[in-house]
Amino acid sequence: MSNYLVAIGSRIGLKSTSKQRRKTIQAIIGYSFLLPTFVFIAGFSYYPAVRALNGAFTSWDGFNPPTWVGFSNFQQLFSDSTFISSVRHVLIWSALGIPLAIVPSFIAAALIFHLKSLRLQYVYRTLFVLTMILPPVVSILIWQEFYGHSGVLNMLFSAIGLAGLRHDWIADPNSALWAVILKGFPWVIPFNLLIFYSGLQSISPELFDAAAVDGAASLKRVWYIEIPLVLAQVRLLLILSIVGVTQDLLTPLLMTGGGPGTSTTTPVLYMYQTAIQYDEYGYGMAIAFLIFIVVIALSALSMKYFRVEQ
Amino acid sequence: MTAKRPNIGLNIILVIYVLLSVYPIVFMLTNAFKDGMQTAVNPFTIAFAQPFGGNFIMAWQAISPEFYRSLYIVAISVVGIVAFAMLSAYSFARLEYPWKGFLFNAIFALLLVPGFLTLIPLFLEIKNLNLLNTSWGLILPYIAGSQAFAIFVFRTFIQAIPGELFEAARIDGANDIQMFTRLVIPLSVPVMVTIALLNINGIWGDYVLPSLILDPSHATVAVAIANFQPPQDAPSLNAGNMQLAAFAISSLPIAALFLFLMRYFVAGLTSGGVKM
Repeated sequence: MSNYLVAIGSRIGLKSTSKQRRKTIQAIIGYSFLLPTFVFIAGFSYYPAVRALNGAFTSWDGFNPPTWVGFSNFQQLFSDSTFISSVRHVLIWSALGIPLAIVPSFIAAALIFHLKSLRLQYVYRTLFVLTMILPPVVSILIWQEFYGHSGVLNMLFSAIGLAGLRHDWIADPNSALWAVILKGFPWVIPFNLLIFYSGLQSISPELFDAAAVDGAASLKRVWYIEIPLVLAQVRLLLILSIVGVTQDLLTPLLMTGGGPGTSTTTPVLYMYQTAIQYDEYGYGMAIAFLIFIVVIALSALSMKYFRVEQ
Repeated sequence: MTAKRPNIGLNIILVIYVLLSVYPIVFMLTNAFKDGMQTAVNPFTIAFAQPFGGNFIMAWQAISPEFYRSLYIVAISVVGIVAFAMLSAYSFARLEYPWKGFLFNAIFALLLVPGFLTLIPLFLEIKNLNLLNTSWGLILPYIAGSQAFAIFVFRTFIQAIPGELFEAARIDGANDIQMFTRLVIPLSVPVMVTIALLNINGIWGDYVLPSLILDPSHATVAVAIANFQPPQDAPSLNAGNMQLAAFAISSLPIAALFLFLMRYFVAGLTSGGVKM
């Protein structure tokens, strides 16, 4: 394009300056450097994304060409009892899982921050971060083992004389969802801990000095200074946790496969199952579409709510 | 006097907290050295079955092809991610041309597209391209899926390189391509390493996409340890312990990365901080 302009320019008597030529060359380099990225994302990001949004309005077995069905997938969803119970599960999971992703990590960060020795602070941070070396698949499967019939949890109950509580935690539909949500005790997430710790570090030391002069005890200092001043971090982690919990396909897929029955099925898992196991690709994409809209709306809401709060 | 006492309490709570947090790792390692009988009797103790470390040898026999396949997939994907993202980031950060802002936003928008939304269409696409059960069926989506974030980080980094350096290079007669290869790439090594490590961690541990794209005889290590099959001559009583050994083996590369990186990671996240 620019080359062409330069050529026209010189033909009608305008002098093609070296500055113009440099601009043209820079544009050519600029576009060609972008080329590999765009080839990849066109094929494996944009195309599937468009396919996903489009496919939500089709009926498709993945083999024959999809047929357009308008909103009927969504209508069907609202009377699909498995889907409705999956929504209930993810609501329970969020109500419990989001505080669990935030509160214990904050407590651990605050405990570390209150230590006098900076060296010890570093040692504890490192020890908590150590848990990241387990790939998610491994920690989920180890927890699955903990919950098993002869697993660590039941052994502990026997050891403290509560053998009556022995239980196959994830094979019983009454306890499976709770077991899946409560995995990972004591729920200190290294990333969240480090975010909180950095938030605490950025609080001006004068505030603490003033509190000390006023004779405020440690707990008061936490309540009146530290918690209000890490609300920005809380907001960030809240959004990340909402997104994390609603998108978590790995945990239910690996730990229970949604079972027993559908007692631990979440919307994302149901999407996976309708598409992969029952070949109802259009229906699966409609579920994905709905989760996508809800997650975006929730993130926007929590961002707005917390801005007003501050 | 009063300043000292609370620290003891804090330390006790923290030690308990840490022990509980790392217990899955402890459980994995201690029971990987036992046999099935010893675990059944008491999973909390430390014991060593004969032959010492035999579970690890059996586990390695069972998952070594998958281990090597994962290494191969991770290596090619990460090289592609970093190379292509660096090219684009340099283009966005330093060069001027029409539609640049639009193209950047088009990439940036991909950060809003969650993985679960494209999972099914991606699977169908790989299937239609006849890439099922090939490493490329994973490598291509991995490279595409990581571009947006990597470009975003690289671009921020390149923009922060002082303009005088580019000016000096231009005076020395360097053109735009030479500035990229001789100035930007050497200066960007730390940020390239960071992005590479993040992606190594993510791709190595990925389960959902490989479990769809590859059948069990072509699996990656994360899938192989989940569907662990002990070698045929192995005593089946010890299968659970061998699986724990396989978990440990699969965690080794990440553990090595983290030990190498821990100091940097802990410091990096806490010094820059998240300013919102």
